[in-house]
Amino acid sequence: MTDTKIRGDASSQGPHLTTGGWLNDLDRKRAAGPFLPGHGLAAAGPSTTAVHAGTHDDARTGAVGTPIYQASTFLLGADQYGSIEQGFARDRFIYSRYGNPSQWAVQEKLAALEGADSAIVFSSGMAAITATVMALVDKGAHVVASADLYGGTYNLFNQEFPTFGMSATLVDPQDFAAIEAAIRPETQLMYFEAITNPLLKIIDIPRLAEIARRHGLRLVIDGTFAPPVAMRALEQGADVVVHSASKYLNGHSDLIAGVAAGPRKLIDMIWPRLLNYGGSLDPHACFLLERGLKTLAIRMRAHEENAHALARYLESHPKVARVFYPLLDSHPDRAVARRLLKNGTGNVTFFVQGGDQAALALVNALRIPKQATSLGGVESLVSLPFNTSQASYTARQRAAIGIHPGCVRLSVGIEDAADLIADFEQALAQIHPAKEAIHA
Amino acid sequence: MRNSLPTAALSEFVNEVASAPQEALMDYGVVMDWESGTRSRAEAKPMRVGPHRVSRSFTWKVDEPRQLMGNNHGPNPQELLLSGLGACMMVAFVAGATAEGIQLESVRIDMDATLDLRGFMGIGSNAPVGFPEIRYTIHVAADATPEQLACLHAKAVAHSPNAQTILNPVALRGEIVSTRSDA
Repeated sequence: MTDTKIRGDASSQGPHLTTGGWLNDLDRKRAAGPFLPGHGLAAAGPSTTAVHAGTHDDARTGAVGTPIYQASTFLLGADQYGSIEQGFARDRFIYSRYGNPSQWAVQEKLAALEGADSAIVFSSGMAAITATVMALVDKGAHVVASADLYGGTYNLFNQEFPTFGMSATLVDPQDFAAIEAAIRPETQLMYFEAITNPLLKIIDIPRLAEIARRHGLRLVIDGTFAPPVAMRALEQGADVVVHSASKYLNGHSDLIAGVAAGPRKLIDMIWPRLLNYGGSLDPHACFLLERGLKTLAIRMRAHEENAHALARYLESHPKVARVFYPLLDSHPDRAVARRLLKNGTGNVTFFVQGGDQAALALVNALRIPKQATSLGGVESLVSLPFNTSQASYTARQRAAIGIHPGCVRLSVGIEDAADLIADFEQALAQIHPAKEAIHA
Repeated sequence: MRNSLPTAALSEFVNEVASAPQEALMDYGVVMDWESGTRSRAEAKPMRVGPHRVSRSFTWKVDEPRQLMGNNHGPNPQELLLSGLGACMMVAFVAGATAEGIQLESVRIDMDATLDLRGFMGIGSNAPVGFPEIRYTIHVAADATPEQLACLHAKAVAHSPNAQTILNPVALRGEIVSTRSDA
């Protein structure tokens, strides 16, 4: 007996083949998805969306929540073979590198949170970034990107691009004239981060989108530092938004994942790059990410509350020279932040008096924040650009991008603000900027 | 995928264009630089696919055989014209076959044309300057009847931009920008 069961998104069907007509008779239209059966959550606020969108109770047992589909491969029948033949295999379950119900569930939640038609999860943020960028460029392409890029993305443009005969020009993400001047005839893509690291510049995405549209370019935004709830980059004009989901989206510092979200047309172009580069996300990691996402809205509120309180405290401390937090009135991009951010985040960057040695003494004296790279977890994390993210730079190069000695990068978690403030109080009391200066 | 073409994506694009006609507008260009004698270098300019730019980065040489005062360093302009016509009809034929569900095993278009260079040289005769006709044969192996393929052939020609450009009058609007150099 022929197995004709649909395993996947039944609303997706191949086009009826033309008989005696021409291409205009093809009747398949593009649609959002792919979705598991019975998705459909009416328009809802970010908290409801975070909890319910994409979460599918088990139809067989009634178990609440999406089961973990820990399978590499799926039973095949005539319908799936047809989907391969007609080129809509993304809408069927065939093999987990192509798609898996655990991936679809969390993709649906992420797409709903971003206000996107479609999303793909990846095994890391860099897998998402590489697949997205490579899907949107062609032989000889040029990219205009931010000079403040995350190191991994910088390496993609600096180390991999020339091998493919492609190039990138890195420009100040707030110098719109320089961005426009960097555009060449072969430019295809603009790549920027919503909030830069570590100085937390708020990038004016609508302005970038206007430039991209005028020049016929695609705009990709890395929203890692500004997850949905804080900002929906697609609503601000990005064509595709990518994230390291290891940060705020998962929120528990217990997995590595990435995501690309946007219109179905573009995400369908990224999907073959997922297949070719192979950065698919394991079903168990999908479950963890989906579970983490359920608390995204409430976590983001807690991050903002704590980070804002700590930033205000640090700003008032005599041993702190400067604090960068987008919701502080002292932040250089306060006006843009007010326009683009619906919620603050947990990232605070500050400069202590006494330079990098004082900063090192401070982080060693802290008891609650863990001295570790990454961000967006429930636990506070602290690190220094001079010996981690920007260690390969000279002090002069760091200064040129605004990373002056004493720079501390802090990701404020969801602990009690009073405990964090007390911890910083005792740690700051232990550093002696004047003494450091004498020995310097 | 049948014939390595995603029918689903083709259908989605067709339906997208039906509601967003600007997505159907393609801008193409090439730049020709004279290199030496009859040889020139062609470079594709960035393309526009709908509102978006596509980098091309393709170059090729065009030359004439030694008998025609060249060095035979590349296909000549007539061969490129024929290949441009043949490749375009090929796209139309394969897309049409795929949309009909025809599995192609092989397709070859064998093209010939005869030029009388007296037209180029200006030697008084009735010879036209261009090709008076282009002959071709399509060799196909596919899971389709000869009637289906004949119908497909007719539709492919009717929808091939290059075939229709050759079959219909086309405006050639050129100008010359010159600088005077010392001899």
